Amino acid sequence: MSAFILRRLWQMIPTMLGVVLLVFFLFNFVGGDPAYLLAGKISNKEQIENIRTQLGINQPYYIQLWIFIKQILTGDFGVSWATNEPVSHIIATRIGPSLTVLVPILIIETIVAVLIALAVAYVRGSLTDRAIMVVCTMAMSVSLLVYIIVGQYVLAYKFSWFPVQGWGDSFAENLFKYSALPILLGVAVGLAPNTRLYRTFILDEINQDYVRTARAKGLSEHKVMLKHVLRNALIPIITNLMIYLPSLLIGHFLIERFFSIPGIGREVILAVERSDFPVIKAITVYVAAATMISNLLADLLYKAVDPRVKLK
Amino acid sequence: MAIRALLRTGFTGLPALAAIFCSLISTGLLAAADPAKVLRTTIEAQDAGFDPAITANYYSGKIMETVGESLLTYDYVARPSKLIPLAAEAMPLVEDDGRTYTFKLRKGIYFAPDPVFKGKKRELTADDYVFSFKRFMDPKVRSQWRFLFEGKIVGLDALSKAAEKSGRFDYDAKVEGLQAVDRYTLKIRLNATDYNFLYIMAMASCIGTAREVVEAYKDDLGGHLVGTNAYMLKEYVRGHKIVLVANPNYRGFKWDFKAGDDPADAEIVAEMQGKMMPRIGRVEITVVEEEHSKFLSYAKGETDMITRIGNIAESWQDGKGLKPELKALGMKRHDTVDAETTYYLINFKDKVTGGSSKDRIALRRAMIMSYDMEKEARVVRKGQAIPNLMPIPRGVVGYDPNYRGVNHYNPDAANKLLDKFGFKKNAEGWRNNPDGSPLEITLTSEATQVSGEYDKLWNASLERIGLKLKVKKGNFADNLKAAKDCQLQMWGSAWSADYPDGENFLQLLYGPNSGQSNNGCYNSPVFNRMYEMSLRMPHSPKRDKLYQMMSRQMEYDGAWKIGISRVRSTLTQAGVQGYKKHPMLHAEFMYMDIDLDKRNAAYSGKGKP
Repeated sequence: MSAFILRRLWQMIPTMLGVVLLVFFLFNFVGGDPAYLLAGKISNKEQIENIRTQLGINQPYYIQLWIFIKQILTGDFGVSWATNEPVSHIIATRIGPSLTVLVPILIIETIVAVLIALAVAYVRGSLTDRAIMVVCTMAMSVSLLVYIIVGQYVLAYKFSWFPVQGWGDSFAENLFKYSALPILLGVAVGLAPNTRLYRTFILDEINQDYVRTARAKGLSEHKVMLKHVLRNALIPIITNLMIYLPSLLIGHFLIERFFSIPGIGREVILAVERSDFPVIKAITVYVAAATMISNLLADLLYKAVDPRVKLK
Repeated sequence: MAIRALLRTGFTGLPALAAIFCSLISTGLLAAADPAKVLRTTIEAQDAGFDPAITANYYSGKIMETVGESLLTYDYVARPSKLIPLAAEAMPLVEDDGRTYTFKLRKGIYFAPDPVFKGKKRELTADDYVFSFKRFMDPKVRSQWRFLFEGKIVGLDALSKAAEKSGRFDYDAKVEGLQAVDRYTLKIRLNATDYNFLYIMAMASCIGTAREVVEAYKDDLGGHLVGTNAYMLKEYVRGHKIVLVANPNYRGFKWDFKAGDDPADAEIVAEMQGKMMPRIGRVEITVVEEEHSKFLSYAKGETDMITRIGNIAESWQDGKGLKPELKALGMKRHDTVDAETTYYLINFKDKVTGGSSKDRIALRRAMIMSYDMEKEARVVRKGQAIPNLMPIPRGVVGYDPNYRGVNHYNPDAANKLLDKFGFKKNAEGWRNNPDGSPLEITLTSEATQVSGEYDKLWNASLERIGLKLKVKKGNFADNLKAAKDCQLQMWGSAWSADYPDGENFLQLLYGPNSGQSNNGCYNSPVFNRMYEMSLRMPHSPKRDKLYQMMSRQMEYDGAWKIGISRVRSTLTQAGVQGYKKHPMLHAEFMYMDIDLDKRNAAYSGKGKP
């Protein structure tokens, strides 16, 4: 096991280097020159050159690339070019609000989707199954933007069940007051596709021989579904969850924007608009690292869920 | 205590107590900032921190102006904009043909409490302004406002050049043109006459900052601005929320402005005249980018004042007023036209569109005449914009409401003009150059939804006159870089007034400013001469005439398709008093009040609109 983990960690290095080269290339050749944005309304060539010197973007590419690698190794990405705020502070202060909304969405949506999927898979082909699948298809066809706009209007404005937007100072206030509607809408949006997906995973297992054997042995349907079917369906479910996990780090731009949540999603978009490379670099590196780590975790979880899985 | 003393003395001490009371009022100690009065408002985009020397962000300016004090400011109600003293006790003494300015500071202006001052009251002095103005020229500061001071103050550029060489700006070095004569006297000497210099002294970026604060917070001054004005920064969650509270060290002032021609002035003056300011104890500003969320939050009563809601005008607008259900709740609509103009530059140095030959002038003017700016204002901007006829917009000195443009929308005339100068159509119906070579116009724009709508309008406009259009998309930074290098053939841009004088707009067309602010690279010797002449003239009918002639010249040459000024609609809740948008000032909080009874009554039992 430890050899497997070490090997996977070692393999992350070339992957990260690839990410670094890609980000570096994209920023330098497509990202736009930030000096022109930072110079203000009226500026001349000397001022722009002075800014480029201060930012270090007129240095040879290999030096800039080396600085980038050193930043990854030290974890210090410097300060935002646009606001002078330390990048570490930007990430530390914005990630909390994003996770306050996205983690409950992920947990609730997964649990509810798995339960519904189990239920409809059990009664597969019935009217209930078909009705739920039709509802899911309809729900999937509606964009998140519509959910947000209608949700804000009906639930927050007309019924006054929630505040329209906002963010407070305490975790409890944020979670139960300001995040409640975004979480509800986030769950509503994610539930339909996940239910359909998990139903497919469960149906794949339901038709396996071992399920028939379990039933033949006289096990209760309850035990068959929860102990045998669900356990074996967990592997693709875990894969799906682990793919989603790293995206928690980049927040949810639309939800954050409409509900005025000071999360990382808005910051990412703003950084791109401002050509704020230190922020872009840091977030890209963190997301890349999180993706690789969650892939590793997924593999380890496969082993935990199914002892037959061999880690090579 | 005072009442007991009065009883004991048999009221003989009454005049003395009255004198103490009056002096308390005059020093602002009884200024009535009520903590219960909380103004909840929004901004529609993120600020960029509050370091006055660094940022030119509009929303940052709102906070800088509310927290800090420039030497001068504007009369809140008077239109056109009128300068009045703020930290200065009077307007400055102007000598030497407008090249030397002597400001006397008010005594007893104190910075808001901050740990940097170690519990002591810190007075604002002339040295603070010397230090603050020097920061604009420190290369390490990377000031977006450097152009305001560059080349203007005697000796300041030399100090900046020395800093570029040594890598260190010497803030202790004496600058001949920027001196604190004594604790309260600031003397500024300019290299040349600049009749707009006093406007610069009223800008939000030109507030007095204490050197020890700047040195203590270093690069993070943007999050710790400490000033002398009515409010202080209490809480700052970057990109989300800014909370201001009344500055306990602020001296206060009496609301004393005269009503102008605007019919709304009388009501504001009646509500506010004679009140000690500031009245509002706390201002909560939230960044709400989406108009839909902003409006629902306002309509539900979660917010007291919102602005920039033009894209959802159908939710609240009823002609020039408000929907009856909103009006019934005591809400008010306040419209102002921003002192700004959009424009489409047509590159004067470009191989296809540039030059001063008659056919190229005809081509540019035909392009301009094909575009219906009224339609852009009405359809794309949903009536929340007013087309401009001259490069100087409303609210800016030099604007002439009687000015009539010569390149007005007329596709037929544009077609005839192109026919006359030999731009013949080929077999496919597109026009060629007079020499028969193919002609294609390239419009550069950003990859946004709004830009896409303007692209479509331009495409339809040029198609009407037989000109083929190619749209090239790029990010804003790259487009700006290309424009400064005179590499863009056609590009949409905008300019907001830094100060309310037409010069601030006309400099965008001055030939030698190519590569700096003249992104169309327009270079007309006639225009340039008139611009240089205007710089040597104070505001006068003669200079206004010159501005009109310059506008006419750029129209004849077809340098810009002059665009629009946005209408800024602001909605306020019942009980919010004293709001009037000033074209130059960023924030109005210190001039406003809230009638809590009216605000609370508006929502009791009436329900939402």
